[in-house]
Amino acid sequence: MVNLTLPAGAKDLLPLDVAQKQWIESRLQTEFRAWGYHCIITPTLEHLGTLTVGGAVKLESVIQVDGSNAEILGLRPELTASIARAYASRIGKINSPQRLYYNDNVFRKLPSSNRQQEFYQSGVELLGGVGLLADAEILLLLAKCLESVNLPHWQMVLGDVGLTTALLNTFPSQYRQKIRQCIADLDRVGLLNLAIPDQLKSQALDLLDLRGQPQQVLDQVLALSWVHNLDAEISYLKSLVELLENNFPTPPVLDLSLLQSCGYYTGIVFEVVSGNYVIAQGGRYDQLLGLYNSQGISHPSIGFCLNLEDLHKVLMPTLPQEIDSSEWLVVAIAHEAIKHTFVYAAELRSKYAVSAEIELEFRDRSAVIAYGRSQGIKQIAWIGASGVIGTEQL
Amino acid sequence: MITVALPKGSLLKDSIAIFKSVGLDFSAFLDPASRQLQITDPTGTAQALLVRAQDVSVYVEYGQAQLGIVGEDVLREKMPKVARLLDLGFGKCRMSIAVSNQSPYQSVLDLPPHSRIASKSVRIAREYFQSIDLPVEIIPLYGSVELGPITGMSEAIVDLVSTGRTLLENGLVEIEVLFESTARLIAHPLSYRVNSDRLNDLVDKLKFTAKY
Repeated sequence: MVNLTLPAGAKDLLPLDVAQKQWIESRLQTEFRAWGYHCIITPTLEHLGTLTVGGAVKLESVIQVDGSNAEILGLRPELTASIARAYASRIGKINSPQRLYYNDNVFRKLPSSNRQQEFYQSGVELLGGVGLLADAEILLLLAKCLESVNLPHWQMVLGDVGLTTALLNTFPSQYRQKIRQCIADLDRVGLLNLAIPDQLKSQALDLLDLRGQPQQVLDQVLALSWVHNLDAEISYLKSLVELLENNFPTPPVLDLSLLQSCGYYTGIVFEVVSGNYVIAQGGRYDQLLGLYNSQGISHPSIGFCLNLEDLHKVLMPTLPQEIDSSEWLVVAIAHEAIKHTFVYAAELRSKYAVSAEIELEFRDRSAVIAYGRSQGIKQIAWIGASGVIGTEQL
Repeated sequence: MITVALPKGSLLKDSIAIFKSVGLDFSAFLDPASRQLQITDPTGTAQALLVRAQDVSVYVEYGQAQLGIVGEDVLREKMPKVARLLDLGFGKCRMSIAVSNQSPYQSVLDLPPHSRIASKSVRIAREYFQSIDLPVEIIPLYGSVELGPITGMSEAIVDLVSTGRTLLENGLVEIEVLFESTARLIAHPLSYRVNSDRLNDLVDKLKFTAKY
């Protein structure tokens, strides 16, 4: 039998869902544009290699599609790789930086088959943007976006893959990968059970616990006896956090164990948490464009993306709870009035810029009024056979 | 308010004891007359959920509980995305392979390819036999796994053993220990990172109690 239901993990967005989603998106896009970002649209389908080469996405999480000529294609699981591909060969020849934003669907194959597979994301990429100003622009823009949708409670967790990697590089190379994995997974028990010298274990435990109020964490790093020559990285983070002051409702948590989402990230990384949801995430990726450039030339870049479904869930109580109804209902009271009805409805729409729908069924007066009230329609225009118009407030 | 997920069954008593040692009293769950699944500590500072041992990590992964206590065996089977904070030391047992004491196979290496292995821990069993490059058929069961070899449905079982009495009484013998398991304190990663409701103060107290 043909299965005519939705595949697992797919969903329809009905008009109210769409109205709520667009309420969020329009506010975000207004903010993006106000900061000089321009919209980019990349294809939904890419070569599988394009999507996975950066290392942020696992092959098994990409939904694969057969292309022509035995090519294997994939549905994009995120946008950054596609945007990096699109600009890698272009950016050397055009003015940088490039400020781009997107608002698109992405697809993920998730282990539990009933989980959602199609998601919507809205985000920005600042290509060729380097240094303190670029990092601060991205973090401040993200904070403004959250303010524009009135997200009530949120907290940013801020990490620095560059600094954490420098700290990890003080460990002998044969242990680094294992220690990094335990730290990224917050696996303290695993770290304690690693077969490494006690001295290194205690250093790794120090690293796992570098988390909290930014100034305190940076002081802790400076006080670690095994840490040297990181003054530049530390003073950079200090300057960055100072720029965020008064722009964030609560100061960020500086968390040097935040590595999980890294893949292609090379500098600061961040997640925005609200309740149990990660609303947004992003980071600096200075090498990614080089992977797509024929000469291997990269451009330092940074971006973030907002997870629209999660944002939608958190914002739900404050979103519009009804779709906009038509302002006018135009009713032909006889067959001879049909032509006049369309003329009058057109006039309402063009002259007064109001929405007007037409009664289709020649129902009696009380049924039409009841229908209009149930739909939240404000005015009825009764059109007579000779084109006579009678209006009525509901 | 912090919510902790506590496992029904063998780990419950020790789990309640360790929270009691840091000032949180969930002993109402031990009252056999009580059917409550959610209680608040008498001081009103934290609440606890009573859930199946296999479900503790689910509540913690989704953030409905910020902390939970769960056996290492469950973590290895379910691979949840949770922070693994402490080895609490209690609930000691081992994941073992056992066969009938009449079995011709007295070591794992004796088991022929495509043997049938009954287990509640499907992932652990599959990964172990993959690691020794022995193709087997895993038969998932939900309980009384010992009946596998007894009835002849399977050549061996992969199961949790604490004292070994159940195996003995059912005429089974252990031929391999895959790993030792104890109870673990786990946390919801986001709550742990942002220290919601001063979660880390509680974790530090538990660390001190568990002597790490």
